[in-house]
Amino acid sequence: MATKAAALPQLVDNTSILTRLFRALLPYLLIAPTLLGVFTFTLLPAVRTVHDSLYQPPRMARGEPTFVGLENYASLFNPQHHLGARFGQILGNTLAFSLATVGVSVPIGLGMALLLNRRIRAMGFWRFAVFYPSLLPLIGAASIWAFLYADTVGLINTTLRALGLPTNNWLGNPNTVLASIITVDIWKQSGYHMLFFLAGLQAIPQDLYEAAELDGASYWQQLTALTLPLLRRTLLFVLVVALTFSFQTVEQLGALGMGKPADRGNLLLYFIFQNIGERRNWGYINAMSVILAGMLLVFTVTNFFLLERGREDER
Amino acid sequence: MIRFVRWLGVSALLAGSLAFSTAQETITIDFYYPTAVDAPINAIIQEYADQFMAQNPGIRINPVYTGTYTQTRDTINTEIAGGGKGPDVAVMLTTDLYSFIEEGVIIPLDDYIATLDNPDAFVADFFPALWLNSLDEDGTIWSIPFQRSTPIMFYNADLFAEKGLEVPTNLDELRAVAAALTEPDGSRWGLMIPVQGTFPIWMFQSFAIAHGQNLVSDDPAEVFLNTPEALEAVTALTELGTVDGVMPAGGTAWGDTPSAFVAGQAAMIYHTTGSLTTILNNAPFTVGTAFLPSGPAGADGTGFGAPTGGGNLYIFDTPDNPRSEAQLEAAWKWVQFLASPEVQSDWGTRTGYIAARISAWDIDPLKSRAEEFPQYTVARDQLATAGKEFSSYRAIDIQNIINSTLSQIISGAVPLSEAEAVLANAQAQIDNLLADYR
Repeated sequence: MATKAAALPQLVDNTSILTRLFRALLPYLLIAPTLLGVFTFTLLPAVRTVHDSLYQPPRMARGEPTFVGLENYASLFNPQHHLGARFGQILGNTLAFSLATVGVSVPIGLGMALLLNRRIRAMGFWRFAVFYPSLLPLIGAASIWAFLYADTVGLINTTLRALGLPTNNWLGNPNTVLASIITVDIWKQSGYHMLFFLAGLQAIPQDLYEAAELDGASYWQQLTALTLPLLRRTLLFVLVVALTFSFQTVEQLGALGMGKPADRGNLLLYFIFQNIGERRNWGYINAMSVILAGMLLVFTVTNFFLLERGREDER
Repeated sequence: MIRFVRWLGVSALLAGSLAFSTAQETITIDFYYPTAVDAPINAIIQEYADQFMAQNPGIRINPVYTGTYTQTRDTINTEIAGGGKGPDVAVMLTTDLYSFIEEGVIIPLDDYIATLDNPDAFVADFFPALWLNSLDEDGTIWSIPFQRSTPIMFYNADLFAEKGLEVPTNLDELRAVAAALTEPDGSRWGLMIPVQGTFPIWMFQSFAIAHGQNLVSDDPAEVFLNTPEALEAVTALTELGTVDGVMPAGGTAWGDTPSAFVAGQAAMIYHTTGSLTTILNNAPFTVGTAFLPSGPAGADGTGFGAPTGGGNLYIFDTPDNPRSEAQLEAAWKWVQFLASPEVQSDWGTRTGYIAARISAWDIDPLKSRAEEFPQYTVARDQLATAGKEFSSYRAIDIQNIINSTLSQIISGAVPLSEAEAVLANAQAQIDNLLADYR
């Protein structure tokens, strides 16, 4: 017993300070490359964006910026400011776009996943048919739709005209442009969401359904009492991804009207991109980026809060 | 001769100050150029560079294709803001003039022009309308016209012959003729004007000038948007679609318009001269070109006035990184070469831009092209009545304001009854930006 007790301190002594230090630091060394990347390309720019949103760029490129506090933010809501006059409309569009695309494409994705999770003929074909829009590059898909929507030569209007129905300038009419863009995004994203729901559905053990059937549960009861609650995690994930996507993907606007007419088809990130060429707008650009990131954060945190609440009951 | 003496002086200075250097060291000129037309620009520019280098052994031209005008401007601004020198020479929009002057990154060219054998003849050989956007308010020349354009009217000549119609010369005739050519079932419009897209300002400007008030004057701190003439102009333009029903309400998109014309879906269109070659090559009917119809401006009520457009040659020199006199001399030589009648004649023929030199039209290949296709001379002749293109301090932001405002009115997002208030608000935004310059 005594020898064993004496051996322990000796063991500690044998480990040099350097080795212990190495062991303590090893985890940090291992994450260092990632951390460096995150710091350089994410954290630092984020902090700089917030910092620069409080400054007005100098009149000449080599001058010093002036601290203006929250003035850049205030200007964005001033209707006599060259960006403020348009910002309100575009902010509203962005919210409408996100809520509409997520609100429609996620239920469609779920619905299609439920349909395609059964044993049906040519299932691979159906799954591919629904999923393939997600495989197309967004700008390519948008270009296809730009042709469908085109006023005089477009497929939709040509068809309507052939049927003797009134046509509409889908991307030129201020009342339909946003809905037209939202439609493209719903078509593009639904299949992608379906994929996650399918994966989620297949992770649910079949014996639960067998037990439910033995108890005489109808399909609807199985759906509401079993499937949906068990898909909660997947739903949270899909919602967060869908919202992030809806705020971040704007390249389709390059093919679908470039924000025109009258900014009715414009979105915040695209507006930022449109104005970045003028150095003297960079204070406002940074303020808009902070607002955009802030909105995204609020939505994501709300989602987590709403969907994680009640998880205790599951245990 | 003077140039040679100056060059000798600089060479001697260089040779004296740098013990191991010789005066024959090669000077490299970085040349940034964008493209906005459908032509093999890269190959053509490289050809010019090779010709120039053969004539000037001490100078190497490094042509860099930099995308669109906007991308080129962003590239230059980013380089200079980051402490770099930017290009030696670049083709940039004439509307960027005051941004570059304000940043102090371009040099005035009067001193270089003065060293020419006959400076007055050099200046007089450019179409006067093309100088309007190349000078500042004091008459200093800052840039040389290179790839310039102007909007003209294209019409389907076969259709006009078939219906026995005359080509309209003013807006009233335009409305009547366009109405006669519009098919009620929507298969053909009498007229298409591309004001739906991101860039209605250019087409609108032709209406504003024809109604008696251009958007800009010689004073770069003044913009005239909230005027009775502008209101009349935007009303006339909008009502072509909503009241007269002779063009699609809200106008058409820029890129769709020539395709619709070639496909027979529009009898007349407004578009840039830069589209002429493409349209001539693709239209299955006889294409006519004409001046944009006149408006009510002027004593006799025949206010013509298309704006000019396109890009000029600028020489860059930043105060933080000044270039040597020899470098600037070489840049000027390259500018002179690109603006020469020979190059302009070739460039105009191969791209569709208006050759900027008057004498370029008397030499081949442009001479024979203009004889074969008289459509090319319409844009040139229209220059005699052309107005100044938009130009002011804070030009990027102010053009955005105007484009966005016009889009609101023309698209119908705001009813015409509220157009005056919208113009007034836009003018207030513009005046806020220009307050610093008054």
